[in-house]
Amino acid sequence: MKKKFRIKRDDIDGYLFILVALVIFSVFTIYPVISAVITSFQNYKPFGSEWVQFDNYKTALSNSLFYKSIKNTAVYTLLTVPFSLVIAFVVALLIMPFKKKTQSLFKALYYIPAVASGVATSVVWLWIYDSSPSGLFNQLMKFLHLPMQNWLASSKTAMLSLIIMSLLNGQGSSIIIYIAALLGIDTSYFEAADIDGASFLQKVRYIVLPLCKPTTLFLLVTGIINSFQVFQNAYMMTGGGPDNNTTMIGLLIFNNAFVYGKYGLACAQGVLLTIIIAGLTAIQFRVAGDDVEY
Amino acid sequence: MKKLVATLLAAAMAMSLLTGCSGGNSGGNETASTTAATTAAAKEETTAAAAETTAAETEAETPDPDTIAVMVPPVTGDYPELMEKWIAEYTADHPWITVDLTNTSWNENPDKISTMALSGEAPDIVMNDFKMLGTLVEMGVAVNVADYMDPEALADYDQNALDYLTLEGTLYALPLYMTIQALGGNKAMMEAAGADVEKIQTEGWTWDEFLEIIKNGTVKDQTWGLTFASAGSSTKDFVNIFGVAAGINNDFTPSLKYAYTSENMKNLLSTVETLVSSGYMPNYGVEAGQRLVMLQTGQTMVTGKAMPLFESNVKNNIAALADGSALEGTVEDLEYVFLPVPTLENVQPACYGIVDCLIPCRNQNSTDEHLKNVCDFLNFLTSGERIAEVANQVYLPAVCESGRKAQEGTVLDQSDANAAASERCLGLVIAPPTGVTTEQSANADTIMTEVIVPKFQALIAGETTADDMYQAICDAAFAAFGEDGCETGFFTY
Repeated sequence: MKKKFRIKRDDIDGYLFILVALVIFSVFTIYPVISAVITSFQNYKPFGSEWVQFDNYKTALSNSLFYKSIKNTAVYTLLTVPFSLVIAFVVALLIMPFKKKTQSLFKALYYIPAVASGVATSVVWLWIYDSSPSGLFNQLMKFLHLPMQNWLASSKTAMLSLIIMSLLNGQGSSIIIYIAALLGIDTSYFEAADIDGASFLQKVRYIVLPLCKPTTLFLLVTGIINSFQVFQNAYMMTGGGPDNNTTMIGLLIFNNAFVYGKYGLACAQGVLLTIIIAGLTAIQFRVAGDDVEY
Repeated sequence: MKKLVATLLAAAMAMSLLTGCSGGNSGGNETASTTAATTAAAKEETTAAAAETTAAETEAETPDPDTIAVMVPPVTGDYPELMEKWIAEYTADHPWITVDLTNTSWNENPDKISTMALSGEAPDIVMNDFKMLGTLVEMGVAVNVADYMDPEALADYDQNALDYLTLEGTLYALPLYMTIQALGGNKAMMEAAGADVEKIQTEGWTWDEFLEIIKNGTVKDQTWGLTFASAGSSTKDFVNIFGVAAGINNDFTPSLKYAYTSENMKNLLSTVETLVSSGYMPNYGVEAGQRLVMLQTGQTMVTGKAMPLFESNVKNNIAALADGSALEGTVEDLEYVFLPVPTLENVQPACYGIVDCLIPCRNQNSTDEHLKNVCDFLNFLTSGERIAEVANQVYLPAVCESGRKAQEGTVLDQSDANAAASERCLGLVIAPPTGVTTEQSANADTIMTEVIVPKFQALIAGETTADDMYQAICDAAFAAFGEDGCETGFFTY
């Protein structure tokens, strides 16, 4: 017999609890997403938009800069996300043996760049990458008797400069999450490994890595999503140049929306980006998520 | 009960989040609020004065209260203070008007305008150069100024300046000034390099003469012959200013064809390629703020982009040596000279000029009555003593009759030679053709930002060739304007 659906008193309390979050989520996430999808089919104007069907999508998909920006973003993602994970994991392993107070000190130190304003950090990096002889990196090159580099204005070094900046800037959150994961591993595994005579690397390979897999998958998925949405670095450091070699998809969308006023096209590109990110996330879960439990 | 309390607390937290957003907004408009308060105070005083007239008359004549929102960058160093003064003057005569002033930075200004315009909340008056008009017209927020102004008031402005602000026969802004952008130099260094500076200022120079002089002025590891700010968005200045050297004064030719696909552009790119590989200028992107510093400290002989008002900056810096606040390494006897851009073969001498303007914008509150008030206040700001004060500060003549009249008798702290050079360059400015459509204008802007500027940066860094860059421009332009809409031969104005 089919169970009759009835809302109980406890259910109402539950709905009330999630209502606030639901309203905020609806207003600030669901509504903008729906609005962006609708706008992507319009030639948006603040006082009367016109329906243009799939024109914005056709324009986006026939623009070579769109593909170049996707390629740039993919290169940036491929080089920053895995290296970020490795750096965060290694630093977390190095911090773990310390006492709690020392651990907290290191965690705070590594987290400072995340607290600092991104714009302020970019200004510091602009000085580091200054192409004139007074730039910090160029002074280092001079000291090492190497030729000075046009760090942000040469297509040979601009992307690399952004990647180095990203790797050295933003590992704080990942390190803290990895440390939390490491602290969650039962010490009995390590005791058993010690009895079996396992080396440090063997413990990492056979105990730490498998038990940290959910964390790694989480950081990988969120890292790729964030990396595909990267905007600030390119906007502040290179403006997308030289020759659009650091124009990321986020920067292209921003330019279309807020520089050229092509809001409909920007929304269409945003929807395409969402589809790409959703596809990549699905692939990651399919490939690496089968044996992961949360 | 506990659940209820928890729910209420959660709701309160969420509300505080929203309040936070709204608080940030009002924080951002602090200046606006202050000004509104100032103008309100002025309004109160005026209202008291107005009380002397009969109550019946006042009631019959006073229009409905109206608020005009204005957003401007620091057009001159003290522009925010000047604006406060002018707002007080205007509202004293128009007590029903309140003005909300928002001061913004040059860097933020264009993006702020676009973002606010897209949301239908553009300030009533914004400031930018004429190249933004196409985008605002495409968005549907630009206003036909002529619809809301008396023809006599419009007749005050120079037609040449108004032409910059006209798209498809419609006037969308009023001019602040027409600025000329070219080169500036260290007179002593140039003379040491064999230049006849006076002749250059009065008659111009050829590209070969220019190359010879910057070659002679280059001292390895000490002084560049030429330093042109080309990092980031200032690359556009390089293209615009040296475009004039090749005969490209505007995005479109007199026959309304896209100009950057012409033979002129090809010549320019080859010349720039030679210039970059010569070693007489840095092959890295120089930040805009660095160029004048490099001139003042002897690190370069010629710099760009340069304007006549740099003479004032140079003099102020030298004067600052007395109290130790001058730039480190300042050349104490530096005499700044404003220089025209050299010209390539078969090209008539010209100068790159742009018109900075105040643009009225439509927003959700715009009614015909409101726009009439906006345009009246706009005209107040861009004419008479107000515009004379601005023009004096940027060492330029006003572009309206009332402004020039107010400038009469003003003696600028400018050398005769620089004044003559400025006057000559102003006379060489060629306004864009008036038949350009909004779509052409917006497409030209996109090609400049997406193709020309990035490729030019690569050309300066020696990573692409003139031919490749020319081909990339042609590909983008043919797609946007059609091959027939692009000039591919050599043209003159």
